[in-house]
Amino acid sequence: MLEATALSKSYNGTIALHPLDLRIEPGEIFCLLGANGAGKTTTINLFLNFIPPTSGTAKIGGLDVVQQPLESKRLLAYIPEQVMLYKNLTGIENLEYFTSLAGGSHTKTELMGFLEGAGLARTDADKRVGAYSKGMRQKVGIAIAIAKKARALLLDEPTSGLDPKASNEFSELLKKLSGAGAAILMATHDLFRAKETGTRVGIMKHGHLVAQYSTSELGHADLERIYLEHMHD
Amino acid sequence: MRYDWRNLSADRAPLAVAVVLGAAIAYGAFNGSEWIRFQNRAISEALAEERERFDRIRDEIPRIESGEKTVTVFADPRQPQSFGRNMGTRYAVMPPAALGALAIGQSDLYPYYFRVSTNSKQTFLNNDEVENPVHLLAGRFDLAFVLLYLYPLVILAFSYNLVSSEKESGTLALTLSQPVSLRRVVMAKVLLRAAFVAALAVLLSAAGVIIGGANLAAEGAWPRLLLWAAVTAVYGAFWFALAIAVNALGRGSATNAMTLAGAWLLFVIVIPSVLNVTIKAVYPVPSRVELIQAIRVAGDESTREGSKLLARYLEDHPELAPPSKGPAGPPDFGTLLVAVNEATERKVQPVLAEFDAQLANQQSMADRLRYLSPAIVAQSAFNDLAGSSAHRYKHFLAGVDEYHRQWRGFFVPRILKKEKLNAGDLARLPSFTFREEPTAAVTGRAGVAFVGLLIAALLAGIPAVMALRRYPVAG
Repeated sequence: MLEATALSKSYNGTIALHPLDLRIEPGEIFCLLGANGAGKTTTINLFLNFIPPTSGTAKIGGLDVVQQPLESKRLLAYIPEQVMLYKNLTGIENLEYFTSLAGGSHTKTELMGFLEGAGLARTDADKRVGAYSKGMRQKVGIAIAIAKKARALLLDEPTSGLDPKASNEFSELLKKLSGAGAAILMATHDLFRAKETGTRVGIMKHGHLVAQYSTSELGHADLERIYLEHMHD
Repeated sequence: MRYDWRNLSADRAPLAVAVVLGAAIAYGAFNGSEWIRFQNRAISEALAEERERFDRIRDEIPRIESGEKTVTVFADPRQPQSFGRNMGTRYAVMPPAALGALAIGQSDLYPYYFRVSTNSKQTFLNNDEVENPVHLLAGRFDLAFVLLYLYPLVILAFSYNLVSSEKESGTLALTLSQPVSLRRVVMAKVLLRAAFVAALAVLLSAAGVIIGGANLAAEGAWPRLLLWAAVTAVYGAFWFALAIAVNALGRGSATNAMTLAGAWLLFVIVIPSVLNVTIKAVYPVPSRVELIQAIRVAGDESTREGSKLLARYLEDHPELAPPSKGPAGPPDFGTLLVAVNEATERKVQPVLAEFDAQLANQQSMADRLRYLSPAIVAQSAFNDLAGSSAHRYKHFLAGVDEYHRQWRGFFVPRILKKEKLNAGDLARLPSFTFREEPTAAVTGRAGVAFVGLLIAALLAGIPAVMALRRYPVAG
């Protein structure tokens, strides 16, 4: 579903991402680990077509994101570290707005259903987003993904700064979405979450994807040890 | 777009802006209508004075003829030289145009009525400079001022952070992860704001027209009003396009605000004043002191040469020579004056011509260079449409000139033949009616300005929309 082929990015000669080959199938949750500046966000931005690749291609559902930016985004949902919504609108209005951009039109009940599916309390849905906590905003982000029936999810450190309970709820939602057939790419620093939620983990360093493991092969302790080994220069 | 509106309206900003702009427009319209009222009052007072004077004369003539009343030669209204020079002079009046209240322009610098006499033109005509530097810089607070200066600021206040604020608050990333292009998002935002601001400007202008008491029944008032709205819209479009262009550079909101404020300063203040100074430097107008001096010298010379001039004048106009039956006594005062005026006018002609030529040069240079700033183009269109432009004034002067010729044509032969006027002649006096410039001429000039502004808007807008494609959403 998500596919990078020799995908690379450099800024004025500085290489942010060395040629990357990656395939994430429906139902997979691929967790990208690595220090800040390792190229995780660059990879996600390339899939979003927010930055043009220096070489290679990024495809979503077989669609090249540069050639077919709008079509590929129909399949896609994006949850950044901070889901920033329009502060002056309520949660449900924000959801309605973003889903309408995707060309969907839903009744109020349906929208409320999506928000509930994402774990947002009914009473909160009609409050202005300005008063939302980060966890609540992430839930609206998930609701957008649900409403859109996204087949691919790009998550950029979505759980950093969430309390453990919220983080756990979030992981459960991801599992539900992937169970429904979505391919998920998540950049994270949370080794525990990666092991718990992910089906595969990849470790990035200086723009290289240096290692990939299936989480079923690893214990928690193993993952941390391997990660730290890679981080040594 | 609907959500953007909700977002905007939750901000209270549009309401505040609407109130401020509304107040400014209302004040501008009020000022304009005050000026029109002032002009109308002055004109009606002048005409009332003329009517009274004529009533008195009409009453006096039969009494003098019947010998009931005796007057000196100079106070005798039947004497054509007294009547044509002074007692019976009539006003040539340019009434305010239908939309005059919208733009005062430089109409407060131009005389809008003259008292036409048989004397030389210089005695009643004020040859003023066409472009007044103070007024290209800052005019009166009228509706045109609001639209030229404040309306762009309002537009910029609404759109300087059109894209940058979304980027800064993080909503842009989420928006663009949806299947929409940045261009569509920007277009929707611009259309919303443009609709709001333009609706405000056009509706309030319309209100201004009504407050200002514009005469919409007048011929050509509607085309002018529509063009006024069109020029307002396209001038606004230019500023929106500029805001998009600056946003497309991908800088922060603060930088955008500074850049756009600079652009406003450049187009609205700096270019017009630099242009003014440049034009004055390239085509300096001879000083007015020189002009007045020349008129005086010419007048003195002509008076000295008096009788010689008369002889020459009569040689040139043999048909006007008095019947040569009786002994040719010394020429009377009125006859001499005719010749003296004629000679003075001829002598002053070169100085005046230079004056006019330099003004024409200035005007044509200004016409060419005005495309450097959309503000000047819009201003010239507004002035044209409101009838406060130099063009309409020139049109008026030409009419006055013609009337002056008619007036003299009526009196000079009578002065030379020493014919006395009678009551019947009063009805035959030439009178002046101001004929409005043809609507087509005005709309033509404003139409050119409209096209110029449209091109400016496209020049700013097209590259801006192209550049949005490369907008750095991340990083």
